[in-house]
Amino acid sequence: MTGYLSKIMPLLLITLACDPEPVLIDESQVIADAGHTGVYVLSEGLFNQNNSTLSWIDFSSGQPDSWNSAAGRSFDVFEKVNGRRSGDTANDLLLYGSRLYIAVSESGTIEILDASTCRSLRQITLNRNGNSSQPRRMTASGGFVYVCCFDGTVTRIDTLTMMADATVRVGRNPDGICCAAGKLYVSNSGGLDPQHPDNTVSVIDLNTFTETRRITVRSNPGNIYTDGTGVYVVSRGIFDYGTMDYDSRLHRIDTQTDEVTATFDIPILNMDIADGQAWFYGYGAGGTIQVLDLNTGKVTDSDFITDGTRVMCPYSIKVEPATHKVYVCDALDYVTPGSLLCFSPDGRLLYRVQGIGINPNTVAFWDGSVTLTQYQGEPEIIGHIDRVFEYMPAPGQFVNLLPRYEPGDNARTMADKCLKALQSGNMITLGAFGGYITAGFNTPVSNGDGPDFRIDGNAYKGNAEPGVVWVSTDFNANGLPDDPWYEIWGSEQREGRSTPGYTATYSRPATDNGDSPWIGSDGRTGSVMHNQFHSQPYFPQWYDSESVSFTATLLPDNITYTDGIYVMSAFGYGYVDNRPNSAENSAFDIDWAVKPDGTPAGLSSIDFIKIQNGMTGCNGTTGEQSTEVSAIYNLNIGTE
Amino acid sequence: MAFDLKIITCLTVTCTLCFRLEAQGQVLSDTIRSEAIQEITVTGDRISNPNSVSAAKRADARLMQATGTLQVSDVLKYFSGATVKDYGGVGGLKTVSVRGLGASHTAVAYDGIIITDNQTGQIDLGRFSGSQAESVRMVSGPDNDLLQPAALAAQAAVISLNTGRPDTDGKEASGYAETKYGSFNTLSARTGGDFNSGERNTVSLHAEWLKTRGDYPYIQSNGANSLSMRRENSDVERFRAEGALFSDICRNSSLTTRAYWFQSAQGLPANILYNENAARERLWNRNGFVQSTLRTTVNKRLDLRFSAKYGIAYTRYLNPGVSNTQGKTDNRYTEQEGYLSGTMLYRMADRLSASIGVDGRLSGLDGNGAQQARPTRYTLNSTAALKYASERLTLTGRLNHVVTMERTELREAAESYNHLSPTAGLNWTVWPSAGLHFRASLGNTFRLPTFNDLYFEQIGRRDLRPERATVKSAGIVMENMTGSMACSFYADVYDSSVRDRIMAVPGKNTAVWMMKNIGRVITHGLETGLEIRSHEGIFRPALLVSYTYQRSMDKTDSGSSTWNHQLPYTPRHAASAVVWMENPLVNVSFNLLYSGEYYCNGYNGPEYRMPSYYETGCSLWRSFRLKRYELSLRAECINLTDSRYELVRNYPMPGRQFRISATIVL
Repeated sequence: MTGYLSKIMPLLLITLACDPEPVLIDESQVIADAGHTGVYVLSEGLFNQNNSTLSWIDFSSGQPDSWNSAAGRSFDVFEKVNGRRSGDTANDLLLYGSRLYIAVSESGTIEILDASTCRSLRQITLNRNGNSSQPRRMTASGGFVYVCCFDGTVTRIDTLTMMADATVRVGRNPDGICCAAGKLYVSNSGGLDPQHPDNTVSVIDLNTFTETRRITVRSNPGNIYTDGTGVYVVSRGIFDYGTMDYDSRLHRIDTQTDEVTATFDIPILNMDIADGQAWFYGYGAGGTIQVLDLNTGKVTDSDFITDGTRVMCPYSIKVEPATHKVYVCDALDYVTPGSLLCFSPDGRLLYRVQGIGINPNTVAFWDGSVTLTQYQGEPEIIGHIDRVFEYMPAPGQFVNLLPRYEPGDNARTMADKCLKALQSGNMITLGAFGGYITAGFNTPVSNGDGPDFRIDGNAYKGNAEPGVVWVSTDFNANGLPDDPWYEIWGSEQREGRSTPGYTATYSRPATDNGDSPWIGSDGRTGSVMHNQFHSQPYFPQWYDSESVSFTATLLPDNITYTDGIYVMSAFGYGYVDNRPNSAENSAFDIDWAVKPDGTPAGLSSIDFIKIQNGMTGCNGTTGEQSTEVSAIYNLNIGTE
Repeated sequence: MAFDLKIITCLTVTCTLCFRLEAQGQVLSDTIRSEAIQEITVTGDRISNPNSVSAAKRADARLMQATGTLQVSDVLKYFSGATVKDYGGVGGLKTVSVRGLGASHTAVAYDGIIITDNQTGQIDLGRFSGSQAESVRMVSGPDNDLLQPAALAAQAAVISLNTGRPDTDGKEASGYAETKYGSFNTLSARTGGDFNSGERNTVSLHAEWLKTRGDYPYIQSNGANSLSMRRENSDVERFRAEGALFSDICRNSSLTTRAYWFQSAQGLPANILYNENAARERLWNRNGFVQSTLRTTVNKRLDLRFSAKYGIAYTRYLNPGVSNTQGKTDNRYTEQEGYLSGTMLYRMADRLSASIGVDGRLSGLDGNGAQQARPTRYTLNSTAALKYASERLTLTGRLNHVVTMERTELREAAESYNHLSPTAGLNWTVWPSAGLHFRASLGNTFRLPTFNDLYFEQIGRRDLRPERATVKSAGIVMENMTGSMACSFYADVYDSSVRDRIMAVPGKNTAVWMMKNIGRVITHGLETGLEIRSHEGIFRPALLVSYTYQRSMDKTDSGSSTWNHQLPYTPRHAASAVVWMENPLVNVSFNLLYSGEYYCNGYNGPEYRMPSYYETGCSLWRSFRLKRYELSLRAECINLTDSRYELVRNYPMPGRQFRISATIVL
């Protein structure tokens, strides 16, 4: 008895020994990669535990954002910024434009975050009859994000309105989606009927957003990928109770014929494609990363990792397209927070970040800056304007939508809607060339050193729709913008590449869904074409007249068309909706304001701002260039 | 990189099955009766039995009244050493694990006969009404009773619900009726009576019905997005009817025959997920059995006991919100069981007795799923025991043997299993005048893999071995009866280990999970309690406090991240207290439950930490004599402070509730 007690008693005394905390191990300082600022890693958490997390690893500091490690939710920047958690089983993370899209399967939501701040701009609920639609995977094209949901649907989200605007039915339990050759490919797993799964891939035409055919593949197709020309789909087959395992294959689908052109007897679970090669890990033999040549269908490297590093349970793989560094998420035992491992192209472990989140499933590189501010309660007002004097958009595909026109609205009510939108960080459109908005700051913006104000738009690399900015000071102190306007000269005016005082006159189309033709002061003509993505009238519905004219500074054409893709390059500096919101050269200096003769205006502070679209370009089927604005900030608040 | 579909379906359904389907039982009787009588004579109604070789706790009707026991699981929370996992509300599953062994190692016996659920291995103790049993007893380790059936003797821990033979006080008949109403639209009624038929036969009939909407409010906590909500789909309707015939066949033989019927229809309260609280799963149970036990004292040396039983349990689980072809999951299972048991006790000398027993059981599971293996299990338990009992010393030794054989209609059946497990116990009266006893026991037990472990869709594996448990326990128990007061104290320390623990782990294909005999758990613990009761006087106060310490360490793999981590849902510290006072004016009680923090996952990351919680309650009750009737009125408040907590992650527990009841006895 005494012996027994002596064995037990010390244990009684140390009953509250410390519990282990997740740790971070950094094995290398060399973590920068291809000019990225860092990576976002989504972790789905444990099923039905409401613990999906989003981590941010900054390549400059080499550390994950660990705002609250004592509380154990160390790396969930989603919670840090938004004051709540995203939900249960976040399946997929998509970085598109300047936003992050998170598909939270069991909660039935899509969270749209600003990639620079992680602030949730909108939460879209996807459910049917009160049950989650179980959004699983996403892809994006032409300004839309497409989500396949386990309830047998694909939903389209307009990235500007941030609303689900159409849904199409596909096969059973779609488990993968990709976009190639103007089409969506959706793998219909039918996995909720394990004895008779689905065996098709749905093809959806992007323009009509209808299912055009179903390609028959082996049973239970899952992950689906594209390298631009081909589509690759993993088909898992039916669970074999003899071997107690799956027998998985990889199909290649030709995107021209939509036929299965090859089937590789390689049991792939997940892969990522770069330069005609696929880095993959398999069903079975957990932990081995292999490389497949997609042209020959041969495994060129059966053990990519060369330094003996062991990945216990690979859960995601991502290859940096330029440097071919390979990022592998290790889910370990599925309950412990997993790791992110970064391998050199020759298979050596460069570094490992431990405790990144439970079941890390997606990695996304981000090039913009990141400022993650801890949640302090929902901000009542975003930005620093408190008046919108005039909202005069030119016709455009988002006009009457951003903000929404409702019968009875007039110029005043539309301006009020713009103020509400801008104060909550929601997008408004200026329509085509010449469309403008004038607004007043809540306090004067003083002219300090460096940038003085910033205007958020929706620009990202290859998608610049620049607008010109004018500023004014309330010299007569009547609170109205009836004082002289001074143009902010950006790189194009200064280099003499712009055309000041260009006028375009738009005519109201004959029908609500007709095109709006325009004629320029130089005789040039064009048209704001109605497209299938937005069905509302494009001519501002509160305008009384049959035509409307705008005079503005015309900026040079920035559109190039190569390999089927329209690229709208950014100008140097000094424009709205030109560079990503937080990027360098996205802010404005009052010193850039000039008198009509081009000499500095010499303003010490400003009260009013006017933003006007300077582009007449048209982007093929996706339509006219239109400047969008979501918030206006006084950068000198609190710095004086 | 979604959680693989297969895993999700598999885990969902497995969870559903493991946590929600409960099989049924049976009941036999009445071998416990003599023991119950013996217990009463020896220990009165106190919680601990000083003569037991193992830690034995018992709750009588008074303790159940004082703790406001609606469901049997309510009173078990006051037993030190019992860890109750509770999904909340009347319909939420409630299972009990003892000494870090896992709920499947805790057998539940109704009137002395084990209730089995071969499908999930877990018995929902929330299903048994507090008024169904005269007493609830929990023994952790070998029992003193030599006439125990072999299947029960082989268990690590046994919770017995004992009804006992009705005491009709010489009257021809007696009866009662009760109705109870509580918060969240909970209404129940029960009635029954005992009838003497001649000198030798007593018939006892009972029926009970309960209905609740169970829509209690809760707070879904998610920082800036926290919401006040009400529980949905947690309605329950239950009905139970049973009849028993107690016959004294001759002077030395008694026969008890019992027929039992239970049926329920209920919603399954959902796991509360952010932005998605759709609760739609439904569960139906029907369970019936007939059982009979014959006890004969052949002569002063030889006692015999025979039991037989047939039981059938039907379960239907429906989830109408599944995106499969049918748009639903609709599982129906029927488990049937036949059971025969015989035990013989032989007193070789004044102080030495021996027993042997054999139990045979045939259980079959049928289901509607395409991949149902439809297994049948034949189990043969044998036991042989020796007991030495002198005035101051009790020694027991027992050998249990089990052999199983399985057949399946589809796929290969599990291998046969053949295992020998010994137990031993000691109780020594160290200081007779002070009533101080020392007790120690050693038990080697096991639990068979359940049908889900073996055959469930892609996760089950037929090559599983049983989980094996070893428990070493030692402690003191002290009992002092001075005048009108009874005072008892016990403290037991133990050391348990589970080997070949059956767990779901990723297989060689990491996307396919499988059950494996991989786990190892070592637990060190302390169970202690103090009870003081006053039996005489106008004011009769009573006090019961208990404390449990459990350190359950995962010892599976020293290289793993969960090495030495505490088992999930096992607080290191837990305590409870009940005080009550019976008096002519109105009886009053207060109770308190406390649980220290714990983890909801085997990995003890802060992500899975669950905060400590406490719950208090109080009751008032009184009986009135009205001519031939006795009327009892009772009012109680459960969770007095409206403490909001989740015992199981994402399954909120109800806040403050009230209940009133009226009972008439004639």
